[in-house]
Amino acid sequence: MTGEDRAFTVARAAVIRRKRAAPWLLMLPALIIVLIFFGLPTLYMARMSFNLSEGSKLFTPGLSWANYQTVFSNEVFVGAIWTTLQLALMASAATLVIGYLFALLVWLKPAKWRLIFIGLALCPLLISEIAIIFGWWMFFPKNGLLSFALTSSGLISDKISLMYTEFAAFVGLVYLTLPFCFFILLSILDGIDKRMLEAAADLGASPLTIFREVLLPLTRNGMLVAFSQCFIFTMGTYATPSALGPDTLWTMGFLVQEQMLGRNNWPLASALSMVLVVLVAVMMVFTRALATRRATLHV
Amino acid sequence: MTIAALDLQNVRRTYGRVVAVDNVSLTVAKGEFVTLLGPSGSGKTSTLRLVGGFDQLNGGSIRINGERIDHLPAYQRDTATIFQSGALFPHKTVAENVAFGLRMRKVDASETADRVKQYLGIVRLSGFADRFPAQLSGGQKQRVALARSLAVRPAILLFDEPLSALDLSLRLQLRAEIKNLHDQLQFSAIYVTHDQGEAMAMSSRVAVMRNGAIEQIDTPENIFHQPINEFVYTFIGESCCLAVRLGPQPTDGAGGRIDLSLQGDHAPGDARLYIRPSRLRFGPDAADLPNRLKARVEFVEFLGDMNRYHLRAAGLELFADHAGAAVHRAGDVVDVGWQSQDMRVFR
Repeated sequence: MTGEDRAFTVARAAVIRRKRAAPWLLMLPALIIVLIFFGLPTLYMARMSFNLSEGSKLFTPGLSWANYQTVFSNEVFVGAIWTTLQLALMASAATLVIGYLFALLVWLKPAKWRLIFIGLALCPLLISEIAIIFGWWMFFPKNGLLSFALTSSGLISDKISLMYTEFAAFVGLVYLTLPFCFFILLSILDGIDKRMLEAAADLGASPLTIFREVLLPLTRNGMLVAFSQCFIFTMGTYATPSALGPDTLWTMGFLVQEQMLGRNNWPLASALSMVLVVLVAVMMVFTRALATRRATLHV
Repeated sequence: MTIAALDLQNVRRTYGRVVAVDNVSLTVAKGEFVTLLGPSGSGKTSTLRLVGGFDQLNGGSIRINGERIDHLPAYQRDTATIFQSGALFPHKTVAENVAFGLRMRKVDASETADRVKQYLGIVRLSGFADRFPAQLSGGQKQRVALARSLAVRPAILLFDEPLSALDLSLRLQLRAEIKNLHDQLQFSAIYVTHDQGEAMAMSSRVAVMRNGAIEQIDTPENIFHQPINEFVYTFIGESCCLAVRLGPQPTDGAGGRIDLSLQGDHAPGDARLYIRPSRLRFGPDAADLPNRLKARVEFVEFLGDMNRYHLRAAGLELFADHAGAAVHRAGDVVDVGWQSQDMRVFR
């Protein structure tokens, strides 16, 4: 090997090294933010969940499973875990169905309607959760908009209030997660060649068969992503179910808040939070496992 | 009289005030391969989509094998379309793609398997049954699309510019394959294209379309040799257009004098003379031809088999193809000549 060859080999190796480093460098800012603002607090919380709570102090350093034992043996906490899971699953499922239909509509409609629909879907994201809750407070009570609309249209004779019901909490959650679900599914649908639907119809497939044979398999992974996004969101959110649901609707988010701020029991709040984190993680692993692994879905 | 595979009568489609398809009447006999040829926006694809059932017509009727079908949804029509994008189902294997139409038509399993094998063989993709579309090249995808449509043995095949997304050599190859398949299987087809070469090479008949209407429908030979109007003439084959003012002293229309002599009587006034560039002769070859024009060589393009001379006479630009070595260079003034039957005059 001549000197020149050697110099070129070294230079080429440097180029290759730089090429390999590029993705990491690009990821670095996001990685730092995630590590500092998510990784560290989560670790801290995990550690906190093993501490003890004695007297009026926020926590006493220690290393014990006691908090987890409390979470899984106390009826209130176990109940809250079930309630939260149920509410999140139902809301996510409903969001998925509504979001899918909405995204399908926008995708199939001529492009001129698209911007209007997308604008509508964006609206909820422009308003804070608290403002949205206030909106529901105008909508659900006995003298609210819903009751007024139903009585004046003659559908019901007496005024009704849906305020502080589980249904209200459910609707509130669906409303919050719908835009995320919609945009995820729309982006998936946009990747599908619409001619494929025509080709299927052309070969003799009825609309329902086209949905089952073509659309559903092609949007499956998108639906799983949308569902898990909604699930993560609804599992953790605290304000909406607390403000719209009944006093007895104890979600995990509500109990974490109560233990942390109301009872000054940080270790127990942390243990409850860790259960929440694990449940969400399990759901993510589960949906990943259900996803089609082939990366060749798009022609 | 035998029943036509496809019969369009006064088919009309408008979008607001835009007339996409303007009273198109067209009959495709069984086994006939009819091409709809036209520039984009001429209504050829719109017409095809009306036949396929992807769009609804505003007037007229469509019959397939004598039965009226324009009220039926796409999935109840006995048509099969080959799309420009192929539109294969990416989550299904090649074999599943080809079997799709057969499953929808409730063909039994063993017959389906046989036909999938048969048609994959016909498009020369026998070893590819278990691949997914993403693992195929563009040409292979289009052949799968072809097999998928052929397999259902539709009353009429609809080709929607199936080759326009492919590169040139593949296009020529597939064009020959489709023609061979048609000779073999004698299917009835409508083929939409803006490529006149495809139209000429494959068709039993060509319908030249403009502004939603059919300008001329005839065999490729007749379309080429007897175009009924200037549009058809210019759209089919290459041509040079000389916009001249005829008279005792011919000019280029803007008043620039040109040295032009034409055989026979031509009424004075503005006229457009069209000549195919391959029929132009020049230099000594032009000397004894009845129609002549003196022009200056602007530049020469080497096209492999031939040289293309770009010429100018006052304000007129034309080009002539000449096989063999380049005999003239830029700046030369040459005589260009042609036979009268190679020229068309439109006014």
